[in-house]
Amino acid sequence: MADRVLTIEDLQVSFDTYAGEVQAVRGVSLHVDAGEVLAVVGESGCGKSVTAQTIMKLNPMPPARIKGGRIDLAGHDIVSASEREMQHIRGREVAMIFQDPMTCMNPTTQVGWQVVESVRLHNKISKKDAKEEAVNQLTRVNIPNPRERARQYPHQFSGGMRQRAMIAMALSCKPKLLIADEPTTALDVTIQAQIMDLLSEMKRETNTAIILITHDLGVVAGIADRVAVMYAGKVVETGTTRQIFYENRHPYTRALLGSLPQTDSSKREPLTSIPGTPPDLLNPPKGCGFAARCKHCMQICREELPPEFMTEDGHKACCWLLHPDCPSAEERGDRS
Amino acid sequence: MTDEILVRADHISKFFKVAGGRMLHAVEDVSLDIHRGETLGLVGESGCGKSTLGRTMMGIYRPTKGKLYYAGKEVDLSNRKDRIAFSKKAQIVFQDPYASLDPRMTVGSIIQEGMEIHGLYDEQRRRERVAELLDIVGLNREHANRFPHEFSGGQRQRIGIARALAIEPEFIVCDEPISALDVSIQAQVINLLHDLQQKMGLTYLFIAHDLNIVRYISDRIAVMYLGSMVELAQSGELYANTLHPYSKALLSAVPIPDPDLETTKHRQIIEGDVPSPINKPKGCAFSSRCPLACDKCREAAPQLREAAPGHFVACHLVK
Repeated sequence: MADRVLTIEDLQVSFDTYAGEVQAVRGVSLHVDAGEVLAVVGESGCGKSVTAQTIMKLNPMPPARIKGGRIDLAGHDIVSASEREMQHIRGREVAMIFQDPMTCMNPTTQVGWQVVESVRLHNKISKKDAKEEAVNQLTRVNIPNPRERARQYPHQFSGGMRQRAMIAMALSCKPKLLIADEPTTALDVTIQAQIMDLLSEMKRETNTAIILITHDLGVVAGIADRVAVMYAGKVVETGTTRQIFYENRHPYTRALLGSLPQTDSSKREPLTSIPGTPPDLLNPPKGCGFAARCKHCMQICREELPPEFMTEDGHKACCWLLHPDCPSAEERGDRS
Repeated sequence: MTDEILVRADHISKFFKVAGGRMLHAVEDVSLDIHRGETLGLVGESGCGKSTLGRTMMGIYRPTKGKLYYAGKEVDLSNRKDRIAFSKKAQIVFQDPYASLDPRMTVGSIIQEGMEIHGLYDEQRRRERVAELLDIVGLNREHANRFPHEFSGGQRQRIGIARALAIEPEFIVCDEPISALDVSIQAQVINLLHDLQQKMGLTYLFIAHDLNIVRYISDRIAVMYLGSMVELAQSGELYANTLHPYSKALLSAVPIPDPDLETTKHRQIIEGDVPSPINKPKGCAFSSRCPLACDKCREAAPQLREAAPGHFVACHLVK
């Protein structure tokens, strides 16, 4: 995998509110290659959606503000791009599918027209060709009776069908990067399985890079190549899916996976929950964001941000426990 | 869990009138026994009638057909006295902790309201009880004077649980109590519900669509599809020996948070969407999506019957 589609370096995004500055994203670095699925996981408010929206510059500025960092999307510098330039980039280079397909479609426009809207914006094609293209796109995402369906309105589609139409819409201009923001959260499990299958099929066909934002670790296990775990506006751990699930090194990742019921467990043993709640990003903590909930917390964790520690195979984690001088568990008097 | 049947639904149906004089068959002919002290999980996709069944079983909706029994006695929901007496025993925890708490009431008055309605305790004792309840669900006593918007989702769900516990009910319907919460907070709430059950001998009807959680918390699990119950068994038995084709598809569609298992497991993807509960297909509700459906399935609706001891299934093809 050589083609780097997206590089984000030390991105910082804040929202200026009446209460003060909310530091939603506090220095995120990511990259995605062509044909790769990067899953971004984390709890609500950890900054995963804001990061994704910033790649497309979809968040209104103000109140949002890019404080610093760099986003390079297929050779375009996003941070300094004007709105006009962004209009050329959106749809053609990067497209997005959203959590709720009902609120993201125009209820007064036929689905077929919405699907080819970006094709018509970016290329000059006749109305007749556009109609044909809409039918082709809907066929590609396995919508039955595409010719009829193209003339219908979103309310006549079921949730799963709408999400398929959204995928058709997003892929219509063959973007290099597809951002899927919780694409299956609003859907039932049987429909979710259909949509995830469609996404991997589309990826194989078009070699599009995908950023999958989700909090469902089961979905991640099935489709992702690499995973970035976010907490309190920072990426705390990144690695391949296997590294994150089997060789995770950050206490938050471990706690998150531990709080899921095991497939073979019964209720006789309590779930390991993470006490407390995520920090308020109006006043982010000075040290590690997870320190207040971490059971391995040390003095330094509260005072200084942990640097990134990387192993040879690209597995990164930000935690003081990984520091070579860190005392062992016995020396720290750790219970586990 | 004991053998005593606490709540019994006897051939309950619930229909809603919709535009054009048509009927939406939300729940159709469901019979269900819930034993004292057990957790019965109720799973199914959206629109399958699981919330409607839950609400009917605690008296929010009156069943269109069928009867509801509580501790061996019939509950007549059209009788005001009966209804109030039943609401003293049965309570509910709602899915959305943002919509289910009145934003203009303090947490204390939200928790107290049920006690006032049922005329329990005097003023002084009620306030003490609010403080006790806040302790039980893991909040601070001082929180009684605050308003719901000051709390996070997980904390609000704890307030909802405290409200349900206030009048010391025996039976609690948990209608997707954790689906609006983050993973790390879900575990906190599940552990709390489980501890409360151990301490107070509560009986739960636990409605959810997260099958991993349902499996974890439930003693028995009922699977619903389009208003009908298709399978009911002990939770271990249901997962080990799934009989109904819909349950099989549903269970295999649940993603496992483990890459090795998830990428190698056998998945059975069912095509299409759930049909509308307004114009239900004739015969078995699942026949339009079932990979095994035969002519008989499209003609006659199968009845729920005991295929193995304690394992009920409604399918013509299960021998």
